[in-house]
Parts: sequence; C-alpha cells; structure tokens
Amino acid sequence: MIGLVDANNFYVSCERVFNPALEGKPVGVMSNNDGCVIARSAEMKAMDIPMGAPSFQLEGLRRQGKIHLLSSNYELYGDMSARLAQLLRDACPDVAPYSIDEMFIYLDGFSDAQCQTLGEVVRRRIRRYLGLPVCVGLAPTHTLAKLANHVAKKQSHYQGVCLLTANSPTTAALLKQLPVSDVWGVGRRIAERLAVSGIRTAWQLRECDPKQLRKRFSVVLARTALELRGTSCLEMNALEQPRQRIMTSRSFGKATGVKAELHAALRRHAQRSAEKLRQQKSLTRAVLLFLTTNRHRKDQPQLAPSAMIPLASPSDDTRIILEAVREGLEQMYRPGFQFMKAGVMLLDLVDAQQYQLSLLRPSTKAHPHLMNTVDTINQRMGQDTIRFGMTEAEAPWQLRCAHRSNRYTTCWDELMEAGTHPGAIAAARVKREQQQLARAQRLAQPRA
Amino acid sequence: MPLTSQPLPFPPLYGRAGFSGFPSPAQDYEPRTLDLNERLIKNPAQTFYLTATGDSMEGWGIFEGDLLVVDRSIPPRLGHILVAMFEEEVLIKRYALYQGTPHLCSAHPHYPPLPLEETDCQLWGVVRAVVHEYLP
Ligand SMILES: [Mg+2]
Repeated sequence: MIGLVDANNFYVSCERVFNPALEGKPVGVMSNNDGCVIARSAEMKAMDIPMGAPSFQLEGLRRQGKIHLLSSNYELYGDMSARLAQLLRDACPDVAPYSIDEMFIYLDGFSDAQCQTLGEVVRRRIRRYLGLPVCVGLAPTHTLAKLANHVAKKQSHYQGVCLLTANSPTTAALLKQLPVSDVWGVGRRIAERLAVSGIRTAWQLRECDPKQLRKRFSVVLARTALELRGTSCLEMNALEQPRQRIMTSRSFGKATGVKAELHAALRRHAQRSAEKLRQQKSLTRAVLLFLTTNRHRKDQPQLAPSAMIPLASPSDDTRIILEAVREGLEQMYRPGFQFMKAGVMLLDLVDAQQYQLSLLRPSTKAHPHLMNTVDTINQRMGQDTIRFGMTEAEAPWQLRCAHRSNRYTTCWDELMEAGTHPGAIAAARVKREQQQLARAQRLAQPRA
Repeated sequence: MPLTSQPLPFPPLYGRAGFSGFPSPAQDYEPRTLDLNERLIKNPAQTFYLTATGDSMEGWGIFEGDLLVVDRSIPPRLGHILVAMFEEEVLIKRYALYQGTPHLCSAHPHYPPLPLEETDCQLWGVVRAVVHEYLP
C-alpha cells in the first residue's frame, strides 16, 4: 500500500497553531511583496475569495475585521513541514516528501486493516502533536492514493482517512464519477484529446488498452491507466503536477557527507528544476531543499534536514535559485552524517506572463535570452553542458512582510507567549507600549 | 570592601599537561560533552519553545520572560503545568483538582481556578521544563 498524507490548508493551519484566535475565521496567506492570496482557510473559500486575489481588493474586508490576511511566513511553514515529515518517519518504514505539505508513505507488507489503522494513528498524532489537520489516502498505487486523499478530504464520513483497494465497488463508483482531467498526471490538453475518443471519466481511461494508449498518447498515460487498475508502475517523480510546484530529487550512487558534493548535487537539481520552471513559463516564490540519510543503515546516525528560502520576488532565474541553494545548504548542513538523497522543490509558482502584466509587482525574471540560450544548449548537447558558476553577490533575501506572524519556531525573539492568567499578555503589551512612549517623550523633550 | 565590588578570587590555575611538554592524556580521547537538548528535549519534532508572560505563576517558579519547553506529545496528568487555549487566549496553568473537579490553577490568590468542565478549554501542550536565565 502507498499512502499520501496531505495537510489541509497547510499555511493557514500553521498560522492557527500559534494564533488560536484565527480558528474558525476566514484567513488568507498572501505572497510576499506582491500581495495576492496564495492560501485560504475553508471559511475564506466559502466567501468565494479566489486563489490569487490581489490583496488591495480585500483591504476593505480586512479593515472591517471580516477577514484576516497574513504575509507568508516561509520559515514557519518550512519548520512545520520538517516536523510533519519526522512524525511520519517515526511511524512508517519509508517516507518521501512530495511537496511542502504532501508526503508519501510506503507500507509494503502491511494488511489493509493495518494500513487503515496506521493512517488513523498518523492523522491523530499530527493533529495532537503539531496541531495540524491532515487527510490520508491509502491505495495500491500513487495515482489511486492521490484520489483516495481527495476523497478523504471531500467526503466527511471517511473522517480524514480513505483506503481504496483496486477492485472494490467503491473505487469503481468513484472512478466512474471522476472526470478524466482530475486524474493525476492527465493534463487539460490530453483530456481534450481523450474526449474526442469518447474517454471522459477515469473509469473509461482505466478500461482502455494500455498498448493503444501508449501508441496513440504516451507511455505515461498507458501507465496511468494501469495505475488506476491497481498496478503500481509510476515513480513519484513521474507524477509531477505542473503549475503548482516542481521537485527534482535523486538518490546518490554512494552516500556522502562531503559538503561540496552535496552542494554540487543540489545545484544540479536546482538547475534542472529551473529549466522545468521556464519550460512551463512560471516563476517561483520559494525554494525548499532537503537531504536524507539512509534509513536502512541503522548503524549510522540519521538526519533529514531541510531549509526553506523565500525569494525576494518571484523568479525563474537560475542564478537566484542557486543562491538560495547556497544559503539553504549553509543553514541545514551538519557534518558527521552520510546523506543518501538530496532534493530541490520550487514552491508557490505563479504564471510568468500574468505576473509580468502587473507593473506594480517586482519580479526578477531571468534575462530571457541568456536563459533560453542556456536551456537550448543543454537540451541539444546534453544536460549540464552549460552550468552556472558561483554567484558572488549576496542576493537580497529581505522581504516586505507587513503582516507576517512571528517566526515562532526559528527565532528566539519571536516565540509564542503564554499568559499566566487571562489578560496577562494584553497587559504586558500595554506596559511595553507605555514604556516606549515614555522613552520617546523623554528623548523629544528639550534639555532644560 | 563590599563583596559586590570585588571579583571573587578564583582558585589558582595549574599548568595543563600540554604546556609543560607532557603528552596530554586527553589528546586521543574526545570527551562526550553534556548536551542540554538531550536532557530537556525528549521528542524534538513535538517540542516547542514559548515564553511566559505575567506574574501569577511565580509561586510555582515560573517568572515573566521564562522559557517554557513544551512537549505536545505528553498526555496531561493532574499536577502537570499545561499550556492551554482558553477563550482565544494561550495560558500557562497548573492542571489540578479544585473542590473535587479538574481546574486550571494559578499560584496567585487574585486569579481564581478556571473550571475545565463546560468550557471550551483546549490543551496545547505539557510543559516539560522551565528555563530561568539570571543573566542576559
Ligand atoms: Mg495540502
């Protein structure tokens, strides 16, 4: 069985852990600098505020106290994501992060009932230990696990955990209702071509002859059909969903603890990710890096560090992404560990063209000719023909973040406060403000 | 001379073996340094740091500005110091019986125990340790 653990409204949920007053209220998280909504609570979705809504249009609602808007706090989300992955590693034999809030768990040799129980345990633990709501989808293949997760989220009677076996009537009924475009890895264009052949539902795709699909469409689509039947044949990385996030990760041929080697691997992944980013004409807002040691080597110390680097403005420039990689490795590297796998994720992507149309929004779009030339040469002459050297200048990572919550888990000066009695925190705030005011007045007074 | 203006005398330093030319016995022995994390943090992924604000827990040794080491994976028991959410506020209180029912209690007569029954109080975590720093 394969499980997909996916947090509900992850960014908003992270904020609520440390600010319980946001519970039950419409909350949105904005992108840095450009000020559009990139994450919404269920309450905000119910108000029909769309993803990507510019925050200046919501300013009125915010002033009236009807909605809460926060700047994105990538340090907090990155840290909570690392904790989530760790809790899964404590419970499951094999864990692979797929995005900042989605992780696959691999449960070979467990019975269906055991998988169901494990899913429930994991969901309860993450809720209690981290305060985060998650849903768990369990199925024999990646494609079905994604579907199971979707069902767990949408249909409340599953209570957050949905297990789908390949040949159950429930699975068949679900696939018959599901439009083929909602199947993982089936893009809009392929869905249109499939519709021409009369294939509109996931069930119809499942019933297709894989050989025909392979001949007329692609190997991936043929495999997707097999996955819907319960035959696992797609790697996690084949399941890339464009336009949301891009990940490149790979295991090393031989484990290494050498910083320069790790850096080289992360740089390769970053360059590959940046290429994919430009291919689909997107910009990224943040870069997430991770390393993992070999969990099978019980004799060796285990570590799975990660680092989240938000970009000053959305970018597709390899040089800026590489600078984030350098900074991220600096943050997460610990000597004395043999790492087996490295990965680079590009998060919270925006459409480059749409973004460029708005003059108010700063972006660091790569020099188009330079990047195009590099990508073309690499495609023609093989990967890594042209690579980027170290950039010298420190990129400005400072972000505008007027409404950012505290970095509760990564900054000593920004910890969450606990009052010893009701009103204690408010009283302390008033006292601090009075002291500041008194100090300002003292300074402003002319010397007698 | 008052003690406060006078540094306390240190015991004299004796030369280390390395200085006088003798091989140090410590040379090929890497001492295992004590790690405070190891002592205070049993479950790193489940542990969060908070700061205490207010004076009503001083009776139990928790002062304004103290660092709270909160482990969210510990099941709460009577007598534990808890972080709890009570009417949209995050509070630190002692979980104890008061007149036979569970309450969140402070160590100050001004603040009556908060009854847990029939309130929307929710547990945030259990305080494993409090760090009080005497110097900045
Ligand atoms: Mg999610």
